[in-house]
Amino acid sequence: MNNSIQKKDIRKTWSRNLFFSTTGWNYEKMMGLGYCYTMLPFMRKIYKDQDQLKERVKSQLQFFNCNAMMSNFIIGANMAIEEKGGFESAETISALKTGLMGPLAGVGDTIFGVTWGTVFYSIAAYMALQGSPIGCIIAIIAGVIKMFFGYGFINIGYREGAKLVDTVSGKIQKVTEVATMAGLTVIGALIPTVVGAKTAFTFTQGDIQIALQADVLDKIMPAILPVCIVAATYWMLGKKSLNSTRVIFILLLLSVILYNLHILG
Amino acid sequence: MHDNISMIQILLLAFYGAFAIYDGLNTGVGFKGSAITGLFAGLIMGDVKTGLMIGGTLQLMSLGIGSYGGASVPDYNTATIISTAFAVMNHAGLETAIGLAIPISLLCVNFDVLARFANTFLQHKAEAFAEKKDFKKVELMNLLGIVPWSLSRFLPIFISLSLGSNFVSAALNAAPDWLMGGLKVAGGVLPALGIAILLKYLPVKTHFAFVLIGFCLTAYGKVPMIGVSLIALAIGLIIVRMMDMIKENRPVVAVADNNGLIGADEDE
Repeated sequence: MNNSIQKKDIRKTWSRNLFFSTTGWNYEKMMGLGYCYTMLPFMRKIYKDQDQLKERVKSQLQFFNCNAMMSNFIIGANMAIEEKGGFESAETISALKTGLMGPLAGVGDTIFGVTWGTVFYSIAAYMALQGSPIGCIIAIIAGVIKMFFGYGFINIGYREGAKLVDTVSGKIQKVTEVATMAGLTVIGALIPTVVGAKTAFTFTQGDIQIALQADVLDKIMPAILPVCIVAATYWMLGKKSLNSTRVIFILLLLSVILYNLHILG
Repeated sequence: MHDNISMIQILLLAFYGAFAIYDGLNTGVGFKGSAITGLFAGLIMGDVKTGLMIGGTLQLMSLGIGSYGGASVPDYNTATIISTAFAVMNHAGLETAIGLAIPISLLCVNFDVLARFANTFLQHKAEAFAEKKDFKKVELMNLLGIVPWSLSRFLPIFISLSLGSNFVSAALNAAPDWLMGGLKVAGGVLPALGIAILLKYLPVKTHFAFVLIGFCLTAYGKVPMIGVSLIALAIGLIIVRMMDMIKENRPVVAVADNNGLIGADEDE
């Protein structure tokens, strides 16, 4: 069979995933349409038999959902396995996709969603509030560089093929660990700076006036109210009946009530 | 009738909103971040400072509120665009603009849900085309998905800005102080949600010490965010290095000498 995969095939597949992985996202198969789109040029090359191609396209249209960056690992491995195994490898590939998409999505969301976003966007936001666009520009440059990480990932996936599962778990665990620690440190740093809550409450006892914020709370610990609000929100999110949109409404309602009771303001 | 905003500006803002959701879903460069959006909305409106202020504030409110696994979340990005435009048009203050942005971001969730729904139709079409071996059309269906996504941002921006500032200023004038004051307080409180979501997402119970370190760095040390990030990275690298050492059964003291911390964890 004349179907050897070259660098340019990998590059093409990578760029399809980069630019169109999630354009067809839908409630039923999520990124299934995007995955199939990404793999189509490769599949055309592997399968000259139109009936086989049809079966493979239908199979690749099935449910898929991952972090688009991390999908590259799966896509690369998919190419390696299918290049060798051809039509017979269909089940292996379905198993690879469903087995890896969950764990890789979790890792990818931690690294590229949570930590990446928290670090770069909080820097962008702070500099923006000082009237400077530099933080935004740094974030954009970092984002452009990030796009090319995926090219490394797809090549690792292709090189490792079926061995991907073992290779990835060890290395990625370390990166995730660093990202988690860095992410949590930045989040801790955000609490006193991002959450703004001060009480306007004042005790009056004869001639003596004690401002709750300046004379009591600030002496105990800086940003004590933001800490309490974060803790309460964290607790609310743990309740099964509350999702984040409901919590937003609760926080809005509480803000209006506490403002009008002159407790916060 | 559109005081202080031209049709070209409205279109540019609406296109930016559509482009931002495309980037957020696919290329992920970051144009969907509110601070960056504020910068561009400000550029289009000819008032970068206002854009940065609104974008920066909304960015801090929405840190952590990301769409994972296809959940629809409040659309602070579209809200940044609309409220920046109105703030520049009406010379409204930052607080009014933020008060406006919160309800807008919540309303826009519905458009996100609609887009995700609309694409289900394309998925079905693609499956039908696959059956007919028309693979070009299968590819086309994925590309057409851009249309519902784009409309879900383009339309709210285009319509609300086309209605003109009179509409919004009337609404704002009608809004009583108890509400606007409450929304102002909410602007300070809402970032707690993003932080709480992030804490839920990461293993905070085993790694609580890092939250404390970060908190102390800014609460007591007033360290800027870039500094915090670098310190955080350093701590992470040290700890991973130490874990490697322990795994290799070498004494941890060895970290101190030879070949430094960063270069040392290349490979074993």
